[in-house]
Amino acid sequence: MHNEEYIASGILELYAAGGLSQTEMEEVEHRAATSPEVRRALNEACAAMEAYASLYATSPKPEVKDNIMQRIEAGAAPENQTLPGTEAPIHPLYTERTKEPSAYKWMFAASIVLFILSGLVSLYFYNKWQQAEDRLATVVASEQLLAQNFRNTSLQLQKQEETLSILRNPEFRPVVLQGVEAYPNASLMVYWNPREQKVYVDRVALPSPPAGKQYQLWALENGNPVNAGMIDFTNGEPSLQQMKNIGAAQAFAVTLEPEGGSTTPTLEELTVMGKIEA
Amino acid sequence: MANQHPIPKVSEEELVQRLRARDTSAMSVLYDMYSPTLFGIVLQIVKIEETAEDILQEAFIKIWNSFDKYDTSKGRLFTWMINICRNQAIDTIRSKQHRVGNKTQDITANERAFFSADALKPEHIGVREMVDNLSPEQKMVIDLMYFKGLTQSEIAEEFNIPLGTVKTRARSAVKVLSSFFKGRA
Repeated sequence: MHNEEYIASGILELYAAGGLSQTEMEEVEHRAATSPEVRRALNEACAAMEAYASLYATSPKPEVKDNIMQRIEAGAAPENQTLPGTEAPIHPLYTERTKEPSAYKWMFAASIVLFILSGLVSLYFYNKWQQAEDRLATVVASEQLLAQNFRNTSLQLQKQEETLSILRNPEFRPVVLQGVEAYPNASLMVYWNPREQKVYVDRVALPSPPAGKQYQLWALENGNPVNAGMIDFTNGEPSLQQMKNIGAAQAFAVTLEPEGGSTTPTLEELTVMGKIEA
Repeated sequence: MANQHPIPKVSEEELVQRLRARDTSAMSVLYDMYSPTLFGIVLQIVKIEETAEDILQEAFIKIWNSFDKYDTSKGRLFTWMINICRNQAIDTIRSKQHRVGNKTQDITANERAFFSADALKPEHIGVREMVDNLSPEQKMVIDLMYFKGLTQSEIAEEFNIPLGTVKTRARSAVKVLSSFFKGRA
């Protein structure tokens, strides 16, 4: 039988002698609870060991029993409920035994407090960091805006200086181009330097060109029109701009041409025109 | 000391019932019946009388407080009580040995010391005879288990004895004690 084999294995004797680990002991107890046969054999082995142990039987001091009974009758309450007189004999080891767990308890409590504290501190610094990050973003944005403004301003200044240098240069000849009958309000300034062959247009006051059309500047040399380039009208407020170089001319004129310009001017679309003063 | 013989023998079932009903007088009976053996075992384990007294007290308080954990189907009441006392005592010497750092001293030398130190009591003469039937090896193994709290594998490891031999010695030792006990009962 299985139970018989189990009993014969010697594990019950090992249990009785105390040579088993906690899990092995539980297994034996479980086995004994389910089988009366095993239970009987276990009791027998245990009784043998108890008889052996009783060889060393010694009666403890009567105070031990008094202490136990007092503590049990006081509801087995902790030591502070025992009578003052009886406290002394049990005190020393009792405190020694409770010292260790309470020290661990304190350490545990302290570690929890530290953990919460460190959590709070990190939360605080995280918020600080986020605020700093936000501020930095704002500063970077405004710095970029400032740099943009500065670039725009220096670009404008550069243009102004260019214009000024042209205006101050006596070699440049200013030519006023007036609107023909169809465009009485249109006008344009051309600055031409015959030596350097440079041509600039400025103070462009022309009607906005219809879609697909562009203004083209022509130089008239002995009655022949020479292409002097397209007038850039994209930025709404055209300022000084350099045109193609022209070596010789008696007059300038502007016509409205298809986008990209033409090789010969469309005279019907003549807008402004002006002669160079000799 | 004198209260060892006139103890009225109460059956285990009755005691268990009264203890379950939280009858403190049952605890007094329990103490009178079993404390000499339990104290003897604890004293064998811890060797120091004051420590043994403290352990016995704590063990009895534990027995009272956790009595609902005692399961009659798993074993006898006395076996359960012995296990509580032994665990308490072994935990104490283990933690002490741990602190001192000399875990394995010469245990066999100690064995002889406490064996001879024990006073012979008249009612134990029969048991003493039965102990004489044990071989020194058998006695050593069960003493190491019962009074030192070593498991079979710990004994095999520390004394360089094959585990099978440890098992055989423990089993035959308990068998010898058991047959003697049965013959007397």
